[in-house]
Amino acid sequence: MDFSLSEDQEMLKTMARDLLEKECTEAVVRATLQREEGYSPELWKKMAELGWLGLLLPEQYGGTGGNVVDMAVLFEEMGRAMCVSPFLSTAVLCGQIISKAGSEAMKNELLPRLVRGKVVLALAMTEPEAVWGHRAWEPAGITVSARADSNGYIINGTKLFIHDAHVADKLVVVARTKRLKNLAEGITLFLVDTRSAGVTCQPLKTLSGNHKQCEVVFKNVMVSAENIIGQAHKGWTPLVGTLKVGAVMLCAEMVGAGQKILETMVDYAKTRVQFDMPIGVNQYVQEHCVEALAALDTSRYMTYQAAWLLSQEKDCDMEVAIAKAWTSEKNERICWYAHQVFAGVGSTEALGVMPIYTRLGNVSQYYLGGPEHHMNKIADEVEKLPVPEKPRGKPLGLWRPGKEGLPSWDIWQKYYEKNQ
Amino acid sequence: MDFGYSEEQEKLRKEVSDFFQNELPSDYSEFPVRQGKALEEFYDDFQSKAVKKGYPSAGWPRQYGGLGFTGMEQGIVSEEMSYWGVGWPATMGYSLVGPVILSVGTEEQKARFIPPIARGEVTCFEAFTEPNAGSDESNVELRAVPDGDDYVLNGQKTFISGNKRPDWLYTLVRTADTIPKHRGLSIFMVPGNAPGISYRPLPTMGGTRQNEIFYDNVRVPKTNMIGELNRGFYAAMATLEFERAAASLDARRGMRRLADFCRKEEKNGRPLIKDPEVRKTLAQMAMFQQTRYLNSWHTIWYRTQREKLGPMKYELGLFLEKSFRWVSGNAMMSVFDMYGQLKADSRYSKYGGAAGRAWEASRAMHGAGTPEILKVVIGNRGLGLPRIPRKFNAMISAELGKE
Repeated sequence: MDFSLSEDQEMLKTMARDLLEKECTEAVVRATLQREEGYSPELWKKMAELGWLGLLLPEQYGGTGGNVVDMAVLFEEMGRAMCVSPFLSTAVLCGQIISKAGSEAMKNELLPRLVRGKVVLALAMTEPEAVWGHRAWEPAGITVSARADSNGYIINGTKLFIHDAHVADKLVVVARTKRLKNLAEGITLFLVDTRSAGVTCQPLKTLSGNHKQCEVVFKNVMVSAENIIGQAHKGWTPLVGTLKVGAVMLCAEMVGAGQKILETMVDYAKTRVQFDMPIGVNQYVQEHCVEALAALDTSRYMTYQAAWLLSQEKDCDMEVAIAKAWTSEKNERICWYAHQVFAGVGSTEALGVMPIYTRLGNVSQYYLGGPEHHMNKIADEVEKLPVPEKPRGKPLGLWRPGKEGLPSWDIWQKYYEKNQ
Repeated sequence: MDFGYSEEQEKLRKEVSDFFQNELPSDYSEFPVRQGKALEEFYDDFQSKAVKKGYPSAGWPRQYGGLGFTGMEQGIVSEEMSYWGVGWPATMGYSLVGPVILSVGTEEQKARFIPPIARGEVTCFEAFTEPNAGSDESNVELRAVPDGDDYVLNGQKTFISGNKRPDWLYTLVRTADTIPKHRGLSIFMVPGNAPGISYRPLPTMGGTRQNEIFYDNVRVPKTNMIGELNRGFYAAMATLEFERAAASLDARRGMRRLADFCRKEEKNGRPLIKDPEVRKTLAQMAMFQQTRYLNSWHTIWYRTQREKLGPMKYELGLFLEKSFRWVSGNAMMSVFDMYGQLKADSRYSKYGGAAGRAWEASRAMHGAGTPEILKVVIGNRGLGLPRIPRKFNAMISAELGKE
């Protein structure tokens, strides 16, 4: 057990904090959220120069071969700085799918460019109907079809809430190639150029900024078999492994945001004066701060535990689901507590950062599975828990239900006798 | 970052777990239905076997009867204890009194008090709370007046937990009238059978016993003072820190048992575990269990790093523990519905009557500070939030008195 970061991770954290405090200020974030692209290409270039995009990728493709905990450190800092970019889509979700399942040719073609920041990728998975019943991230939610054809495959259907598709060069499309009883079978991952005939990306009007998420429509889109990532019909396994890493990265992002929110709300509670006293002397206000602190610390432990288990390639479905469900729920709570402390100031766009944190938090809470989705996953894992081991000593018969005896300490007995 | 255990630690865990599995009776339950002499004897016997292995005091130095391990190994023992649902009858000595004497006691006191505590031969009560000193610990009125080589104690303690006659009362007393009040407190080890001590039981709704303890001209030698004169409050706070951090580490077994129950029990023709409401409740409990597990290990780990990281600013353990008890008590009731009201000896009782017990336990959550005072402490000490200066308290009281 060791909760501390390694020396390298501390260095990475400091470097990230320094860059983002300089280059990703509140003003930059506000301007970025207004931009057509929804991110800052200038900052993207700097991140690529520092090697961040290749942090999880092997050295042979220009990456640095870091692990999931290193990446979580980086995401914590990006969350703190409210840094919006296609980082998660490109470097984690699509990057990992291609790196884990893609062909050597595909990796050589794409990954070095990805590391240099020359290519933006997006994961096209969720569909309009599947959102109901929390099936968006499950095999049952995949209905967009890819029909085999003499030249390859033809994709038809609509994907919704696709992050960064409007700026992506290529999409990793999750499509159904076979209808089997086991819905996790028959799913194939395709690499599709966004300029292919029949692909249209329409940014959605969302609360968090208008251009982050898209509707992507595929109308008779032709894809050659070379563009299958991994094996045909067996796309679910590499996909779900990557979704777990992505979910933990979102947790780290929310932890970073929560840390900054807590710092600003406590600072405000100490300095804002009403009734001739800082509002922080009021225990109602203190309670909001303390509850936020507890929510944040527990989220952080869960996030890093899940990240560490992933980095060790250990079985961690339960821990990842717990981290995402808890952190998402608590991120929402932390924002709420902060809004209570800031009151009117917190909801005012011009006076503070809370509106941005709250909106971006809302995206992270539900992307890659919201609390309900992950609580369902936790329940699945609870269902699989083993029967507890039984003690093996000689039975003593002391624990059988029967008449409840009196406690043995003589004084208590005497007291009862006297008073009965 | 490392959320695993070393090979030696895993070996110790296996050893301790095997010990519990072999020594505990096959019909053992962490929720005793009947209390009484036989049960007490079983626990004493069980503890003395564990003491031979050195488990209860594994983290203490060898010279005082420990195994010389670090807090991490002691944590592993605690974790297995939680897993098997066992506690030591002399737990106050192991988890509170022992550690404080080891940190602030004199060499002579360590030699005198620690080995019997390590051997589990003595029962200690933590006698802090008084009728007028609840959350406001510094308001202790039980007075100790020096007289020759002794102090003479007069006053009353209340809500002191314990079901067994104590050998030592670890008592917080007033030795000086000071402003601020907490600078006039000291701690004494008072023999439980000293002339002038009397006990009155206070049964609680959870079925456990608490006590009122009266001190009537009780003489205690000066050498029984733990730590420095008038510095008792700090030792008391250290004690509470140990107590607040002693959240149980592992509710794995409880989760497994409940999952097993929900797989077997049926509701409307399908297993309870397929019911969406029950699934949601189980998921919530699993999340809360994880918060306690990780926070406890964080605290234990932090203590081993204290020299590098400095003193801990705040400790969430007991606060989380209390939220968990509340949640799990209510969750159990939501799963068991009206069955949760039944005692273990009802013929309709489910799950050994544990559902109701969990609910009752959720009411008894005020030891070592109410959740409210814990939040105030975390807010003030952990986050540096301001507090109303003490001098205004008297002004407010006077103001209210006028109305």
